[in-house]
Amino acid sequence: MKNIRSSVALVSVCSVLLVATAAGQDSGDTDNGKQLYFDHACYSCHGYGGIGRRNIANNASGILVSEEVFITYLRARADQNPQFPTQTMPNYAASSLSDDDARDIYAFIRTLKDDPPEVDDIPALKGILEDAETGL
Amino acid sequence: MTKKSDENKPRISRRAFLGTGAAAGAASMLPAGPGAQAAPQAAGEATNAKVSPPSPEQMAREVGSALPPSLVERAAQRPGSDLMVQVLRDLEIEYVVSNPGSSFEGLQESIINYGEIPNVMPEFITALHEESAVDMAHGYARSEGKPICALIQGTIGLQHASMAIYQAFLGQVPMIVLVGREDKHFLQQHTADDVAALVRPFTKWDTHPQNIEETLDALQEAYRQSITPPCAPVVVIMDGHIGKEEAGDLRVPAYYPPVIPTITERQADKIAAGLASASNPRISVGRFRTPAGIDSAVELAELVGASTDSRSTSGPMSFPQTHPLTGPGVSTEYDFELGLEVPGAQASVTGPHLRTLDDRDLVGINFGNIRPPVRPTPDTSGDFDLTADAEASLPLIIEATKKRLNGQAKNAIAARTVSHTKANRDNRIAGLREAVESKRPGWNGSPVSLARIYAELWPLIKDLDWCLASPSIFSGRHHVDLWDHDRPYSYLGVYPAAALGYALGASTGAALAAKGRDRIVINIQGDGDFNYSPGSVWTAAHHNLPILTIMHNNRAYHMELMYLQFMAGVRGRGTDRAEIGTTFRDPYINYAKLAEGYGVKSEGPISDPNELSAALARGVESVSNGEPYLIDVLTQPR
Repeated sequence: MKNIRSSVALVSVCSVLLVATAAGQDSGDTDNGKQLYFDHACYSCHGYGGIGRRNIANNASGILVSEEVFITYLRARADQNPQFPTQTMPNYAASSLSDDDARDIYAFIRTLKDDPPEVDDIPALKGILEDAETGL
Repeated sequence: MTKKSDENKPRISRRAFLGTGAAAGAASMLPAGPGAQAAPQAAGEATNAKVSPPSPEQMAREVGSALPPSLVERAAQRPGSDLMVQVLRDLEIEYVVSNPGSSFEGLQESIINYGEIPNVMPEFITALHEESAVDMAHGYARSEGKPICALIQGTIGLQHASMAIYQAFLGQVPMIVLVGREDKHFLQQHTADDVAALVRPFTKWDTHPQNIEETLDALQEAYRQSITPPCAPVVVIMDGHIGKEEAGDLRVPAYYPPVIPTITERQADKIAAGLASASNPRISVGRFRTPAGIDSAVELAELVGASTDSRSTSGPMSFPQTHPLTGPGVSTEYDFELGLEVPGAQASVTGPHLRTLDDRDLVGINFGNIRPPVRPTPDTSGDFDLTADAEASLPLIIEATKKRLNGQAKNAIAARTVSHTKANRDNRIAGLREAVESKRPGWNGSPVSLARIYAELWPLIKDLDWCLASPSIFSGRHHVDLWDHDRPYSYLGVYPAAALGYALGASTGAALAAKGRDRIVINIQGDGDFNYSPGSVWTAAHHNLPILTIMHNNRAYHMELMYLQFMAGVRGRGTDRAEIGTTFRDPYINYAKLAEGYGVKSEGPISDPNELSAALARGVESVSNGEPYLIDVLTQPR
């Protein structure tokens, strides 16, 4: 059973990569995407710069491999009607977010970069670790 | 400060405004008014008396333009309210927090003028809302493990206070709620035959004394009830005229402490046998009533060399987080596990739960922990579960354990302690390495990363006596990973009723506890929570409270924004309108200016993370000098 799952996962990854290769360059408008990222409150989970509850800066998420995968993922929860409030990824129906708009958001997200300093270059974090190591 | 107006033209007070008929919720408890007296009802007949509007005389008294009555009794030379204050003083009640009202001016006068003036034991603390007053008492109790008083005005003040009382009840904190009441010369909308009924489903005990002597006894009993587990708010209805009566040579009754339920010596010996014979005992520590419980738990853990699980990053009054025995220890193959105020595998000692108060649910409100839970709770019972107060039981366990430890056992314990100490230290450092790495992403982002706020604040406070009073559940809980929670009040925990409007008041109450104890209070304050009752900012300024408020200003009720976003998404009707009703836009709120208006030093809004550390340093310096400070930080959502 484990081998079957591994095989399925491998095929899925290959498929994603093939799609990504076929997708080529991003076609969206990053400026419009930035506005839509705010309007549709993508920041609520992913932060204003792609760092949040779910990090997506630096193309960190697998759904960013292509526009098609991204749009398919956005439309993936249309049939859900949760009994309890949820903070998981919302559905983005074509009726409220067109494919073109989705491509713009995709293009914007792909520009999000995060290059934080190393711990040794952040005095506060380095100090916390040093205090523990020296027993202070 | 009082309702006495020194203005020429009469004005309608907030309380009087309510008197125009908005008190329908309390109408069923109102005493029969003049109209009702004219039409007596048969026993058992349904009551539907209408609330009469206030008379001109009543309104004149309420707005402060009433002339003194032509015939007055001589003021008491030794008023009953002085003795009431003496009782509170003897009980070491440090504060009476109140939004002033027109039903307890006798007691209030005694609080400020009894003895050496101005009296500060207890000190009268001015709150701008009754909910704030109770939240302050809540925060104080969480910090110190003992009660102060919230003094509340009749039916109207108690309804304002009720949400905070409900939260304190679920938080199981000791608190004495004094409710002013006056029948003789009072707006009937402000009084009732049974005022306490408004909050009886979520208070532990209430009483309505009828004279000075009964009131003194009632205050002492209220204190006993409040601090006896399960700790909870209690209510004393204080008829205003009683405090104005002559006490004569009446003396304050002697106080006797409550009897706190403990386990028996035999039960203690059984636990001691388990601990003493175990090769790898484990102690799990929940929340004690007072700091004394922590001291005893440390003594027991060190006595038997038990690795210990602490809840100090979740709430107050637990085992010190960086004690050498805190952690999983050298092995997690424990052969005897004792729970103190938490479940334990082999034995546990936990205090009675407030669900035992079902019989107080007299008006059938039935919600929260007052009824059986909707969702079944998992069975966490151990082999030997004892319902008793762990803190009071620990001395029995310690003494029984000492008797069972011989020289050989002590040598084994010493060796075990050394092993645990090294293992826990290694475990902690490994955890910290992961933690600091996890805080890096978004470090230089704007708006400011919440992890950066916690991380850059720590070096500024780590050598001070500090208390994180605000719930951190919405701001990432980064202190859990980065800070050391070694004091009883290091972190005061979450919202017991998961209800906003608590953090600012509770933090202000924690600052009341901190004042005079060379302690500072940190309040990382959600913006949504702040706006329920921001007036506590003024209380902090007025009373010079050492509270540093750092706004977690994400300009939204963020959880609800995400809920709405999901709902709009699955319905395919537009996630680009989820900000409606969930965000603070058009206009944005400037909290630094708001604080300035209340008289608190402030700065911000800060969106550049490179400006944060210096601002935090200014804030810590200010509160270290006893002056509150607010920093408005534009933050990432979570």
